[in-house]
Amino acid sequence: MAAIGVHLGSSCACAAAYKDGRADVVANDAGDRVTPAVVAFSENEEVVGLAAKQNRVRNLSNTVVKVKQILGRSSGDPQAEKYIAESKCSVIEKNGKLNYEIDGKLVSPEDVAKLIFSKMKETAQSALGSDVNDTVITVPFDFGDKQKNALGEAATAAGLNVLRLIHEPSAALLAYGIGQDSPSGKSNVLVYKLGGTSLSITVIEVNSGLYRVISTNTDDSIGGICFTEALAQHLASEFQRSYKYDVRENSRAMMKLMNSAEVAKHSLSTLGSANCFVDSLYDGLDFDCNVSRARFELICSALFNKCLEAIKKLLKQVGLTADDINKVVLCGGSSRIPKLQQLIKELFPSVELLNSIPPDEVIPIGAAMEAGILLGRENTFLDDEILPIECSAKDILVKAMDQSGADKFVVVFPSGTPLPARRQHTLQAPGSNSSVCLELYESLEKIPIKEDNRFAQIVLQDLDIKEGGLHDILTVLTMKRDGSLHVSCTDQDTGKCEAITVEVAS
Amino acid sequence: MLLRGAPEGQVTGVSRALSSASVLCQVEPVGRWFEAFVKRRNIHVSASFQELEDEKELSEESGDEELQLEEFPMLKTLDPKDWKNQDHYSVLGLGHIRYKASQKQIKAAHKAMVLKHHPDKRKAAGEQIGEGDNDYFTCITKAYEILSDPLKRRAFNSIDPTFDNTVPSKSEAKENFFEVFSPVFERNARWSNKKNVPKLGDTNSSFEEVDAFYSFWYNFDSWREFSYLDEEEKEKAECRDERRWIEKQNRAARALRKKEEMNRIRTLVDTAYSCDPRIKKFKEEEKAKKEAEKKAKAEAKRKEQEERDRQRQAELEAARLAKEKEEEEIRQQALLVKKEKDIQKKAIKKERQKLRTTCKNWNYFSDSEAECVKMMEEVEKLCDRLELASLQCLNEALTSTTREEGKAAVEKQIDEVNEQIRREREEAEARMRQATKSSEKPTSGGVGGSKNWSEDDLQLLIKAVNLFPAGTNSRWEVIANYMNLHSTTGIKRTAKDVINKAKSLQKLDPHQKDDINKKAFDKFKKEHGVVPQADSATPSERFEATFTDLSPWTTEEQKLLEQALKTYPVNTPERWEKIAASVPGRSKKDCMKRYKELVEMVKAKKAAQEQVVNAAKTKK
Repeated sequence: MAAIGVHLGSSCACAAAYKDGRADVVANDAGDRVTPAVVAFSENEEVVGLAAKQNRVRNLSNTVVKVKQILGRSSGDPQAEKYIAESKCSVIEKNGKLNYEIDGKLVSPEDVAKLIFSKMKETAQSALGSDVNDTVITVPFDFGDKQKNALGEAATAAGLNVLRLIHEPSAALLAYGIGQDSPSGKSNVLVYKLGGTSLSITVIEVNSGLYRVISTNTDDSIGGICFTEALAQHLASEFQRSYKYDVRENSRAMMKLMNSAEVAKHSLSTLGSANCFVDSLYDGLDFDCNVSRARFELICSALFNKCLEAIKKLLKQVGLTADDINKVVLCGGSSRIPKLQQLIKELFPSVELLNSIPPDEVIPIGAAMEAGILLGRENTFLDDEILPIECSAKDILVKAMDQSGADKFVVVFPSGTPLPARRQHTLQAPGSNSSVCLELYESLEKIPIKEDNRFAQIVLQDLDIKEGGLHDILTVLTMKRDGSLHVSCTDQDTGKCEAITVEVAS
Repeated sequence: MLLRGAPEGQVTGVSRALSSASVLCQVEPVGRWFEAFVKRRNIHVSASFQELEDEKELSEESGDEELQLEEFPMLKTLDPKDWKNQDHYSVLGLGHIRYKASQKQIKAAHKAMVLKHHPDKRKAAGEQIGEGDNDYFTCITKAYEILSDPLKRRAFNSIDPTFDNTVPSKSEAKENFFEVFSPVFERNARWSNKKNVPKLGDTNSSFEEVDAFYSFWYNFDSWREFSYLDEEEKEKAECRDERRWIEKQNRAARALRKKEEMNRIRTLVDTAYSCDPRIKKFKEEEKAKKEAEKKAKAEAKRKEQEERDRQRQAELEAARLAKEKEEEEIRQQALLVKKEKDIQKKAIKKERQKLRTTCKNWNYFSDSEAECVKMMEEVEKLCDRLELASLQCLNEALTSTTREEGKAAVEKQIDEVNEQIRREREEAEARMRQATKSSEKPTSGGVGGSKNWSEDDLQLLIKAVNLFPAGTNSRWEVIANYMNLHSTTGIKRTAKDVINKAKSLQKLDPHQKDDINKKAFDKFKKEHGVVPQADSATPSERFEATFTDLSPWTTEEQKLLEQALKTYPVNTPERWEKIAASVPGRSKKDCMKRYKELVEMVKAKKAAQEQVVNAAKTKK
């Protein structure tokens, strides 16, 4: 049994297959692990992928790019309007739906997406050597129901059996298996996705293996293409400097430069310098230029700043500091840029930066893992995609003292834990005491605890005195769905046990 | 981190309740923990939680332990043979909790029973023991057997003898609906496959709640089954066929019972529904609402209608007013104009009078009677023709000057007027001439310079045109040729000339055509010197009349005629009568005439064509 995860981005699509407990990206027939999401229409065939992208210079009006941006949108949508204004293909409205007009024929965005999905399916099938239908598809967090439906329909039309649509940031988390091994504990993860055309940053709280999105922000004005454009502008000025021709007005020459700049940008992520060479760029003149990584970083410094500002802004918005983030996941092809990784690392000095999986493959791998989880399960499709789950509202803490004897509070049941839940802790007390008092407090996060936050205490009396030793107190906290709490404490040595049940004030 | 010791006097306890209940959050539907979570939720309890609940129940149970272990005299009365009809719960001492008993409780109860009632134990105590299966201990074993197997237990639960199957009657429910039905529904809710059976609620329940309640109960999905009541046991069958037969019997019996059960539930819900005061209330409310809506709609419609009427009225009023105003204005204007005219008339009259008097005073500038009379005439003419302004001018001139000068002025004025009259007359004449000329123009204008068309030629042309109808090969050349051949004037005419002339002739009104014809006739008369006699004039006139009448042979008639000519060959008796009969609207004479014409036309055409061909040949 195998299943695949497909990520359809604005600029690229990527598929990963789950087989025998492993998820891995499958390479397409050209050997590339990522397929450009470009579809070219000619008289008798549709070309998907790199070939279409490279031929775009010659076949501008019949090549569809960034189909994801218009999928499931209607004409009134500002995003769609923006897209139509930029698109080189003519987009017309018919029966309230937007369609591409290619060679006099109408092609809907769903059809284009369908072609891309078919290509991805084909890729996965040839890599696995078997028929694959079960698929998990990723969608951006800001996709509405209509867009989700359109994407789902496109995938279904391509012959895929969509098990579930999941959000891109959660897929990224899943790819790294965050929270999947030990379901207790709570952490905040920041997902930094810098794709081809957009930057989206999401803060996810992982609690008991469940992901909860705290806040998310998408910026459509910055993406990998901006870096390419900046580099292309630089190349154009270089060309002007050496040949006194300004090619900026010539769209075809600029497109050639963009292609060259993109290749250079990619190689600069691994190499110190890259060579740009364009045959007959303008007026029969060849263009040859060397760009060093330092030069590239200088050109794009403003863009880097913008990328980082977005993180700071989002953190400020949710009231978190860099220290509250436990992990940072990088995804999207443009987060390969070494300078960007370095800058993010500087922003979160004490945080683990997860980039062991190539950033542009993280999301499909996560999707494939989810597909593996869902594989063979009955009724995988949830009625309502996101179902509300009861969570505890406040932290439950226990007062303890540290080495110096000062009061200190230990969180034993964090807020936001999906209910019902049980948490088990082994607390310790000095062996010289014959009694132990467990004082329970409730509090919102980050608010200093006051004495009137205390709601119960558990006292264990007549314990065996162990000079120099420690009492191990096994504390089990169980909270039901309505929020009522049951706490039991057992002394491991004597087996003495005390339990209380705290109801919620009505 | 170390916990502190307890201060003196501190005891375990809850000082206050938790301040906040759980909050609803949305989580991402990914990961295996999510799947596990959903699965747990779908079966409603988690494994670990079950334990907790069980613990609680056990602790509750422990209180009853003593009671349970008491002597059950009823046990002794049990007939081991009739185990099927025993109440397994009370046999195990669980009569007080029955179907709510957990597996653990059943197990514990059985254990306790075994400890107490095992035959070995009782034998040791010196009790009389029944042989083999005849001891009542068998009943305990059977009871446990039934209750420990979930399927069998369910079957037994389904026919629980203590369950009250009754459905309250309508009359009972009339008074205190909720008191009667609430326990009934709660009782029956245990059969539901679905959890969270909606409660009956009370008088204040919302419409949605009541609706949900009834839709739940109308679609009640019961797990109650009646396999326990099977008459025959499948296991007893000796062969496969028998087993099948038994199964069939059982199935039929079960289905019947199940149907009865469903009917029971249905009756219950129906009764409840019909008695429910809330339903009545909702219906009334609905009705009232509908009525109100209807009323509101009617009101709105009426208002709209009124509004429209008023608007139309206002429009009509406005239109009427505007019209009146306009008329008034027109009237005013007319009045004004009339007034002005009157004033002018008066003024002009005055002026005329003045002129006349001045002229009279001066004795019409002459002394002789005749001149006087002539002058008088002239002055009258002046008075008639002159405008007010010029009259005034003249009068002024007359009053301010001497007689001589006045005479000069008047004469000058008279001259001018005369001149004007003359000019007008001339103009009128010119216009008249123009009119006659323009009417004649086509006749003479089309001739074109040197080539004059005499009457003969015109006649010839008309004849030629008629002879060679449209469609003839190189028609105009043929016509021109024909003209040249037959013309007496000897003017060579080309096809072009002929076309022009023919066209201009076509333009002519029939009146002029008649003119030409008449002229031709006159000429004919003159030439032959014969004045047609009165009696011969009549037929000729009639002939003329018929000719003009039949001159337009329509294509249809033409076709009919040709067809008739073909169908009735020459030797047919009374040929022409028949032909005439087949051409409606034409007499025998007409047909004959037309035939002759056609024959002539064809002949002429042939001749002319021959000539053209010959001419072409000679040219070559």
